[in-house]
Amino acid sequence: MSWRSELLAVWAVAVRNALMASRNVFFFFELLFWPIVGVVSIGLMTRFLGLTSQQASFVLIGTIALSVVNVCQLEVAYAVLLDVWSKSVKHQFLAPIGIRHLTVGSWLVGIVRGSAIFVLLAALGWWAFGFEVLAPGFPAVGVFLLGCFLTAWIVGVAVCALITLFGNRAEAFAWSSVNLVLVLAGIYYPISVLPDSVAAIAAAIPLTYFLDAYRAHFGFVSEFRTPIATGLALSALYAALAHWAFFAAIQRARRTGLLLKMSE
Amino acid sequence: MLAIDARDVTKTFRSGWLRRRETHALRGVSLAVPRGAIWGLLGPNGAGKTTLLSILATLLTPDGGSVTVLGHDVLREATALRHRLNMASGRPSFLWSLRVDEIIAFYGRLYGLHGAALRRRVDQLVALCELVPFRRVQYSELSTGLKQRVALAKSLVNDPELLFLDEPTLGLDPDVSGRVRQHIARLRREQGITIVLTTHYMREAEELCDEIAFIKAGQILARGTPGELKRQIRLGEVIALKLDPATVAWLAEAPGVLRCAEADGWVECTVDEAEKRLPELLRALHADGVVVRNVRVSEPDLEEVFVELAK
Repeated sequence: MSWRSELLAVWAVAVRNALMASRNVFFFFELLFWPIVGVVSIGLMTRFLGLTSQQASFVLIGTIALSVVNVCQLEVAYAVLLDVWSKSVKHQFLAPIGIRHLTVGSWLVGIVRGSAIFVLLAALGWWAFGFEVLAPGFPAVGVFLLGCFLTAWIVGVAVCALITLFGNRAEAFAWSSVNLVLVLAGIYYPISVLPDSVAAIAAAIPLTYFLDAYRAHFGFVSEFRTPIATGLALSALYAALAHWAFFAAIQRARRTGLLLKMSE
Repeated sequence: MLAIDARDVTKTFRSGWLRRRETHALRGVSLAVPRGAIWGLLGPNGAGKTTLLSILATLLTPDGGSVTVLGHDVLREATALRHRLNMASGRPSFLWSLRVDEIIAFYGRLYGLHGAALRRRVDQLVALCELVPFRRVQYSELSTGLKQRVALAKSLVNDPELLFLDEPTLGLDPDVSGRVRQHIARLRREQGITIVLTTHYMREAEELCDEIAFIKAGQILARGTPGELKRQIRLGEVIALKLDPATVAWLAEAPGVLRCAEADGWVECTVDEAEKRLPELLRALHADGVVVRNVRVSEPDLEEVFVELAK
């Protein structure tokens, strides 16, 4: 495929997702309601518990990261979910495109939505709780968001693979998978508080490193020597694995007929 | 030159985790479809029509055999092949919130169209499929017939050389079905597209198809032109006679007569070949002093062939 065809296929998927998002009130609900509820309730809880501003920032960074990852990974999962819901899966896979077009196109929309959420929650955090999320400066914010979006891409592609493997029974993964990240990646606590075996799993999640690196700008001692490089390396590894898993799931669905069943 | 060359294609679906169940969907199907033909696949439900079509369209992988479509191996060159074919099916389904022109444009982009060329193509297809008044209507608000037309428009977006139509008139009103059939015939006539269609409607197959394959339990039982199929299964043609006296005992034993029955004052003789047997019967009846008051000759239709083969 030429570069132009590559970009066009990615653009096609991005436009489709954006149009679908713009016409569904629940997409806005997803975009605004839960993230705002999350930040407000967690922010109020930090007040109730009388946490220091440094401790509050630790928790709020986690809450914002979780919202950004969640919104973005859901959008990536829509690469397959939209077609599963509309029973048009076969038309998508009849076209001469690869899974990279589906996931990257959806990811781009996820990045836009995730960025919008980040800005909104940053403003809300500053206005309601005096939390200055942008204080570490734009390069640090950029790396932090990149980490969130890479994690979202990996989780989203893994969800796509699971749906393609098990059919629409597996769509619950789209909403539940992010909670696994919540428990393991140190959203509300440093991973040092986790039992050793669980901490080892947490250390395998890229978001853990990006959170660690960002929190270091707020005065927390980093738990890792090179968190950003490690986070990026792990992201690259998982991105390749998730992509392979999705590809293998599609091949299997072509073999078992699930691709057709999801269109009936 | 062949558009499709499939040999000994097999496909078995396996289901169940604990108790494995196997369904043999295709058992050694071979077919050759020439370029520019309209080719029909007929068969009862569960015969393997959609499975075969899906393998030819690269949506399913075969377990065995070889399949070459437009010169491409369906397994090794699937992506190159997908540029050149497309598919529309009965009970179509697309993203519910997208408008008609957005659906066509989405698939157009997937096939590499953009800018003015994409806009032109969308306009053409909207006009061709008589969707102009509905182009800004969301898919979920369209009637079944309009959805079918959207499916047809989408299937033409990449100017395919080979088009698969899986029951394209399923559930449509007769007048809409007629228009869809006209579209299909025009596509072949004006653009030379090879079309493979599955249908339950014998009239549709008889009207459109150059050749038909009858598939049952994953095997092709018969193939040929509609006329050839009727001859192949020896359904015969019917010569109905109004005679005076009303019955003639020896008619059932006459050469070429397969069976005879009386109904509403007519003697209906099923013969192997009406063109040959009618003059012979008339001569014999005349010689026997029987007055022939009326004669009617009818061919069996494809419906009867279908019923016969589906037994």
